[in-house]
Amino acid sequence: MHDLYAFVRGPLAWAAFGVFIGGSLYRLLHLLMLVHRKEKFIYSYMSWKYSLRSILHWMTPFAAVNMRMNRVLTVVTFAFHLGLILTPVLLLSHVLLWEESWGLSWWTLPDGVADVMTVIVIAGCGYFLVRRLAQPEVRYVTSASDYVILAIAAAPFVTGFLAYHQWFAYEILFILHILSGEIMLAAIPFTRLSHMLFAPFTRAYMGSEFGGVRHARDW
Amino acid sequence: MKRWALAPVLALASLWLWAPGFSQEDMTAVDASPFERPQRAPALFKHDAHNEKAGIDACNECHHVHRDGKKVEDESSEGERCADCHGRMTQGRVPSLTIAFHTNCKGCHLEQQKGPVMCGQCHVWRPIKAGAAAE
Ligand code: HEC
Ligand code: HEC
Ligand code: HEC
Ligand code: HEC
Repeated sequence: MHDLYAFVRGPLAWAAFGVFIGGSLYRLLHLLMLVHRKEKFIYSYMSWKYSLRSILHWMTPFAAVNMRMNRVLTVVTFAFHLGLILTPVLLLSHVLLWEESWGLSWWTLPDGVADVMTVIVIAGCGYFLVRRLAQPEVRYVTSASDYVILAIAAAPFVTGFLAYHQWFAYEILFILHILSGEIMLAAIPFTRLSHMLFAPFTRAYMGSEFGGVRHARDW
Repeated sequence: MKRWALAPVLALASLWLWAPGFSQEDMTAVDASPFERPQRAPALFKHDAHNEKAGIDACNECHHVHRDGKKVEDESSEGERCADCHGRMTQGRVPSLTIAFHTNCKGCHLEQQKGPVMCGQCHVWRPIKAGAAAE
């Protein structure tokens, strides 16, 4: 177990962060270069005002028409994304490891709160899964990769939850937790999880085009 | 009241009387009370059995004394608690209490590739079951 621990905690962690950071920079630069080469006219109407206006509207629950049309989905989506991003970043155990390795530390959530947020993320994954399976109009646009991505996002939370509570085989779950987190990090730049990187740009673009060109709202 | 009914009461009372006389021989876990709001179960640590099994002779492997940034080899500090010198936050070269424990305990286990290194191997929520499994 020591060898396995050292491996997932050492070289594999370096590789995962390397792919995540390197891959994300590559994807973003690639996008910007493409725009620069092929669609320079976009610059003529890109606007901070309309960009931020759109981003803010889409970050506020129920501020867009789509969100008001399906209230349950909106609540689940917001809670899910909040938990998905905040829980790992503000988790006490993660911050302790950052401090032990790099001397960096920051404010953390009490473990009890993080536990509830973890359950919310897992429940959110369950909701998205059922929605894909049960609603014909969603199922129609679903491909196998959507299920894989859902599994990649759920795995670190399920294994982390079980390991934290020390249910079932602790050591194996602990290793699987680190492994699944690393898989998720490395998958972000190269799967549809990359909407995490691109969302602000997509919104800025849509916001600017709707605001500056069509003189309409994009929310 | 039947006389035998007193037995558990007496047993509890003697346990209570005995408890303040707690010493490192009886230690089964590191006391987490210096932490404001402990988030984890206290780390399992049978002081004397651990040190014997791990073959640690020098008390100052853990109960260390530092002077002018150097470890004093022939002195030890077992009269003091780690929390007497290690605070809530890391200050300069003095690590916070949590990091001091982790660096000391986990650091050695990693180096020797022996002993627990995963959170839940030390911070065990249900130690009775885990202890039974380990023995
Ligand atoms: C592997 C690390 C380690 C070694 C080696 C070690 N100790 Fe300790 N000892 C501890 C820890 C941890 C505590 C708890 C300290 C605290 O809570 O602040 C402790 C506590 C104690 C206490 C206080 C007990 C109490 O209940 O308050 C005494 C006395 C003590 N140790 C003596 C010794 C002596 C003597 C030696 C050498 C023969 C020794 N220790 C070696 C880790 C160690
Ligand atoms: C008498 C005060 C004192 C006590 C008691 C004390 N420490 Fe320390 N500790 C220090 C100081 C001072 C430093 C900073 C040393 C330096 O200058 O590098 C330190 C540093 C450390 C370090 C980091 C050492 C390194 O090489 O990076 C660890 C780990 C540590 N202490 C663990 C413990 C543990 C565990 C206990 C209790 C068993 C303990 N200390 C008790 C004063 C103390
Ligand atoms: C100088 C090295 C060293 C330090 C410091 C140390 N350990 Fe250990 N520990 C070991 C070794 C070696 C073993 C494995 C013993 C074996 O199984 O042969 C071990 C085993 C253990 C075990 C498993 C015991 C068992 O019965 O299997 C626990 C729990 C443990 N250590 C807790 C701690 C804690 C808590 C601390 C800090 C207060 C600590 N250790 C500090 C060397 C160390
Ligand atoms: C080798 C044993 C060991 C390992 C492994 C270990 N710890 Fe600890 N930890 C300790 C000891 C000893 C203390 C001192 C207080 C106590 O007994 O809990 C401590 C203290 C803490 C504290 C502060 C007290 C509290 O309960 O809030 C936290 C938080 C903590 N550890 C979390 C973790 C996390 C998260 C991990 C895994 C990333 C971890 N520990 C791994 C031994 C260990």
